[in-house]
Amino acid sequence: MSATKTPVKGPTPDADVIHVPSYSRWFSWNNVHECEVRFLPEFFDSRSPSKTPRVYHYYRNFIIKLFRSNPSRKITFTDVRRTLVGDVGSIRRVFDFLDVWGLINYSPSALNKPLKWEDGKDSTSGGAAASKSSASAPDSNDSLTPNKEALKRLCTACKSLCTIACFFSDKYDLTLCARCYVRGNHPVGVSNSDFRRVELSEMTKTEWTEKETMQLLEAVMHYSDDWKKVAQHVSGRSEKDCIAQFIKLPFGEEFLNFSDSGEFNDKYNNQMKGPSDVDNGLETIPKSSPSKRMRLTPLADSSNPIMAQASFLSALAGVEIAEAAAKAAVTALYDVGNRAHKGSPLFLTKNTIQEAGVTSNGDTTLNEFERACVEANSLIEKDELDVERGIEGITEMQMKEIQDKIARFEELDLQMEKERQQYEQIKNQLFFDQLTVLFRKSSAPKTVERSEESVRIDVS
Amino acid sequence: MKLPALSSSKAPVKFRIPTADNLVPIRLDIEFDGQRYKDAFTWNPCDPDSEVVIFAKRTVKDLKLPPPFITQIAQSIQSQLTEFRSYEGQDMYTGAKIVPIKLDLRVNHTLIRDRFLWDLNNFSSDPEDFARTFCKDLKIEDPEVGPAIAFAIREQLYEIAVESVASAKENRLSKKGRRGFEHVLASKAGGSTDVMKLFSFKSSVVRKRKERDVFEPTVDILSNDEVDALEAREEQNAR
Repeated sequence: MSATKTPVKGPTPDADVIHVPSYSRWFSWNNVHECEVRFLPEFFDSRSPSKTPRVYHYYRNFIIKLFRSNPSRKITFTDVRRTLVGDVGSIRRVFDFLDVWGLINYSPSALNKPLKWEDGKDSTSGGAAASKSSASAPDSNDSLTPNKEALKRLCTACKSLCTIACFFSDKYDLTLCARCYVRGNHPVGVSNSDFRRVELSEMTKTEWTEKETMQLLEAVMHYSDDWKKVAQHVSGRSEKDCIAQFIKLPFGEEFLNFSDSGEFNDKYNNQMKGPSDVDNGLETIPKSSPSKRMRLTPLADSSNPIMAQASFLSALAGVEIAEAAAKAAVTALYDVGNRAHKGSPLFLTKNTIQEAGVTSNGDTTLNEFERACVEANSLIEKDELDVERGIEGITEMQMKEIQDKIARFEELDLQMEKERQQYEQIKNQLFFDQLTVLFRKSSAPKTVERSEESVRIDVS
Repeated sequence: MKLPALSSSKAPVKFRIPTADNLVPIRLDIEFDGQRYKDAFTWNPCDPDSEVVIFAKRTVKDLKLPPPFITQIAQSIQSQLTEFRSYEGQDMYTGAKIVPIKLDLRVNHTLIRDRFLWDLNNFSSDPEDFARTFCKDLKIEDPEVGPAIAFAIREQLYEIAVESVASAKENRLSKKGRRGFEHVLASKAGGSTDVMKLFSFKSSVVRKRKERDVFEPTVDILSNDEVDALEAREEQNAR
């Protein structure tokens, strides 16, 4: 039926094709995939005798079979739990897992929406993404209402029709298409921070009255994350509008955790401002106050057309995707670089940071990566110093050893001299004694022969 | 999951449902604003309490019940859970107990009647498995029957376990020491089927003829009228 998604045939006898989203392609009837193990560990860690993989397999296949027997109808959890033998807590978890991954209650009509890939990404990111509000996530159910399509946007700068996303400034009532925005093609005096990104689906131009804003705030205070209730409370506004308006409120940003990326934007800006300052790329991480609005950095006004293109693309693509892409690119580059230039880590990291900066559009965790590089470098230097010191120590030790040995040998020598001298003395003494004996004997003439003999004997 | 402490029948065991999984049977019967919601299912007491609210919300959403049901359902589940938990930690004597379990339930159009013996001491028994096999063997088509059977078994086991806790407490208060154990055993044997008599030399393991009918499972499929009649009678009895 549809060419964009991977159809997966269930074991049903009829010839219908069951649609399964492409991110659930791993599913197979007879096997349990590792992401199932990850999401539902209770069945696989043998903590309880009844929660075995076999039981999980049985529940899962049962639920899917039940859904596929009538694919046009969404099955509810209660249907399932009434017919499955088992404890309702684990059944609910299996059901939720299958629901999130689109293996049940997945309707093919969802395929015809534009920007489908963003929806897919949103629902795979943990399943709880529905509760996170983000200005860049289009709500596909609302995007095709007729009155919204009628509001086509013309870019005030280049007078072309805006597609997919455009940038709107409340302050000056300007609309820029993505390309103009990135090129900075707006009147003097207007900075890029005054623009906010608007998807085609968010085209309602109705202003929020005071009353509505009050209602919104009240509702948010009461219901905090339940945007459905908030939307009900605020008369006449859809969920998405409420969320968008809430974000636009001056304090709304805090709830979205953008202060980090704002800070980083500044650092990144400072870095990029001097493309020739390759050397201080790492060291100078200037402090900046966190900005309140999401700032898209105007890279494009630098002379590099490639970067302009890349920033345009990332402006189109949105925050999360650009972030993911940048991270992947950075790690890949780092690996490649590592293998190529082992000797100049600094050079590498600088390069990768620059390139990552291009693709990231300032909204990534490059900050952390830089810090990691700096740390790594300092560690390397420390290690080198340690090694040097180690070698010094070793050579010192060895020299000392040699010296000691020499000293000992000298001592021995001395001793030997002394002993030899003593020996000489004794020899001389002996000789002297022999002579005296001889002379005494020679003084007695009778004993001449005897002394001669003895002398002869002695001499020999 | 708690493991059985000793296989000896004399030692007390910490309270738990005597099956492989320590699941609590929960029965809901809430009436509000003219709408009656009856349900029965098994709950895992190890699940965090937040699960209760999630489950209640889910059920109300799925069955399109009015919102006040959520709190009532959650409360009911919670109170049954706390009751269960209050028994946990206390001792129970299971003894060499083989208990008769009786099934007499009606699920949609299927009427089930059965009676069988169940070993209370067997802590690795599995009512869910029994229910699955039962449905498969008797070719029951209605998928809601399985959980109902498992639930009925569990409920009865739960009641028996609670009784044994109560009697254990009584005995501990009234008598102490060795005498207490013997007394307990004697009383147990009287209440349930006497195992020794059944499996001794003189009698055979084969059941007597007249008892066979009682112990055979019967499954009846009712027609709509019969269902309505039965329901009306049940409600009358309830009042």
